[in-house]
Amino acid sequence: MSNESEKLLIVNNLATTFSTAGGPLPAVSGVSFEMLRNETIGIVGESGSGKTVLSRTIMGLQPRTNVVVTGSVLLNGNEMVGASEDFKRGLWGTEVAMVFQDPMTSLNPVMRIGKQIDESLRVRLGMSKVDAKARAIELLELVGIPSPAHRYSAYPGQLSGGMRQRVVIAIALACSPKLLMADEPTTGLDVTIQAQILNLLDELKERLHMSVVLVTHDLGVVATRTSRIIVMYAGRIVEIGDTRDVFHHHRMPYTRALLESSPKVSNASHTRLTTIPGRPPNLLKLSDGCSFAPRCSYATDRCHNERPELQPADEPAHSFACWNPLPTTRGASA
Amino acid sequence: MTDTTQPLLRVRDLQVTFGRGRHAVSAVAGVSFDVFEGETLGLVGESGCGKSTTGKALMRIVEPSGGLIELQGIDLIKQKGRALRNIRTRMQMIFQDPISSLNPRRRVKDIVAEPLDCWKTISGHERDVLVSDLLSKVGIDPAVYGNRYARQFSGGQCQRISIARSLAMRPKLLICDEMVSALDVSVQAQILNLLEDLKREYGLTLLFIAHDLAVVKNVSDRVAVMYLGKICEIGPADALYEAPAHPYTKFLLGAALEADPDSPMHAQVLEGEPPSPLNPPSGCRFRTRCPNATQRCANEEPLPQEVAPGHQVSCHYPLSITRK
Repeated sequence: MSNESEKLLIVNNLATTFSTAGGPLPAVSGVSFEMLRNETIGIVGESGSGKTVLSRTIMGLQPRTNVVVTGSVLLNGNEMVGASEDFKRGLWGTEVAMVFQDPMTSLNPVMRIGKQIDESLRVRLGMSKVDAKARAIELLELVGIPSPAHRYSAYPGQLSGGMRQRVVIAIALACSPKLLMADEPTTGLDVTIQAQILNLLDELKERLHMSVVLVTHDLGVVATRTSRIIVMYAGRIVEIGDTRDVFHHHRMPYTRALLESSPKVSNASHTRLTTIPGRPPNLLKLSDGCSFAPRCSYATDRCHNERPELQPADEPAHSFACWNPLPTTRGASA
Repeated sequence: MTDTTQPLLRVRDLQVTFGRGRHAVSAVAGVSFDVFEGETLGLVGESGCGKSTTGKALMRIVEPSGGLIELQGIDLIKQKGRALRNIRTRMQMIFQDPISSLNPRRRVKDIVAEPLDCWKTISGHERDVLVSDLLSKVGIDPAVYGNRYARQFSGGQCQRISIARSLAMRPKLLICDEMVSALDVSVQAQILNLLEDLKREYGLTLLFIAHDLAVVKNVSDRVAVMYLGKICEIGPADALYEAPAHPYTKFLLGAALEADPDSPMHAQVLEGEPPSPLNPPSGCRFRTRCPNATQRCANEEPLPQEVAPGHQVSCHYPLSITRK
């Protein structure tokens, strides 16, 4: 097998711009990264950082109008940018599938869950009614739903939030996708249920040899579950690298601020939190410089006027976009 | 308990039941705790455990069906009409969704002034001075933003305005119900720090209700853990997190995700989901998911017992506490 075929996803200079009443809104710009087979990658950022738009653009799920997508998304050799709806539909389910954030609204409330799983099996894989039902029950069992044959005919309203998210995962897995995009899969679920769902995703990834993109605002979710992390700010990648490198040897001040501003269970109570002053920028009024410069304590004139590109850090596959990076901590830290 | 200091808020066997007869759900099933002047009591639990209902029952936004709520020695459940309104000025609540808890079509300064206008205890000029002062305290420039409408603000700013409004009547007790859970981490940190500053400045006592264990630990002096309408463990924040005595607390802490790639993967994940409060298990309510449960747990409801000073647990078989 050549090196190229090890790469499941190649995103190159991707940009998604919405046209709004206030002018063009660059929700995602200049995003490039690659993903290997059987890898889990985390995309983290605050609301409005473009992480959801990026994941939807990769899937080709952007709205039909008022949006311009440029660049390239090569998914298992298939170009998604500019592809026709029919072509993309041929890839959804078998090549790439998505688990959406809100399990309450992503299921049809008046359709039995079994039918919702059957749907893609029958349409996409051309299974017979009987085969599809058997496979759907198998899938329900796979995602850990107790008494799957019985639950097959349940309505979403009869299931709890955690169970519904399992059903959503079962639907996504129905046609054995090579890439699973999970957009905030556990937001809104309780911590104990969140742990169950994340463990399930981990286990399924190994069992089905999938790659998983975990999109989240919660650094705790990606810390132990991903091999690499992409940190996004104002529609751009500001730091990317192996999970450990990003957590321990980050160079971009925003990454550090993000890590330090989240309260930790291991800290004593009443520990003063480090805050980032100000708010994320208005994407309609981005400056030519670094988008984080107005909130950054290290910012210089250059940061305000000239945009930093991603540059390699000491570690392989670790890069950051900053003119005044934090000193490297390699060797100094334990 | 032999506490010499009089608690600011005393809650005994608080019960809230929704519906009647066969459909009765006991959302809060006998909750007792004290909140002492100047402290922050954190109330954590998963959704449906009754933590928000407890907060609302204290304000009598929902009516308790039994029990005792005493604020500074006054029984709140017995009060009604004007007397109740009078006492309510001493306690205020901040809600989860900052945007929907403010009227989008009102000006910020009018929102903050509303409690003052209701009570008309001070002159119009004093009122304006106080409103400006409150807005600057929460980090919103009254000269620039005072006349703007609530809809023009982001979630974090709306939560600042909610805090200013809640402080207008100089309350003794502030009940914060999931006040930062809708905010991004960087904004959340700003609001949590602001809350700590204001607590010190105004001598506030807080009841901080949230599901996020890290957030609760950060602000609380003591923490109470709720499961299915009951408190299963209450104790000093640091001690409770370090050595939980109730198996449920241990699982809850184990499931909390630490933003550290080297943190150990949870050895044990709590299986299943909480049972329906329509039909709670007999005896200990956690027994259906508890690995240590025995027949005794099904027959006999565990009563709170002290495992360390100020640290109480409702479990027949509390986990051993490592004493320092």
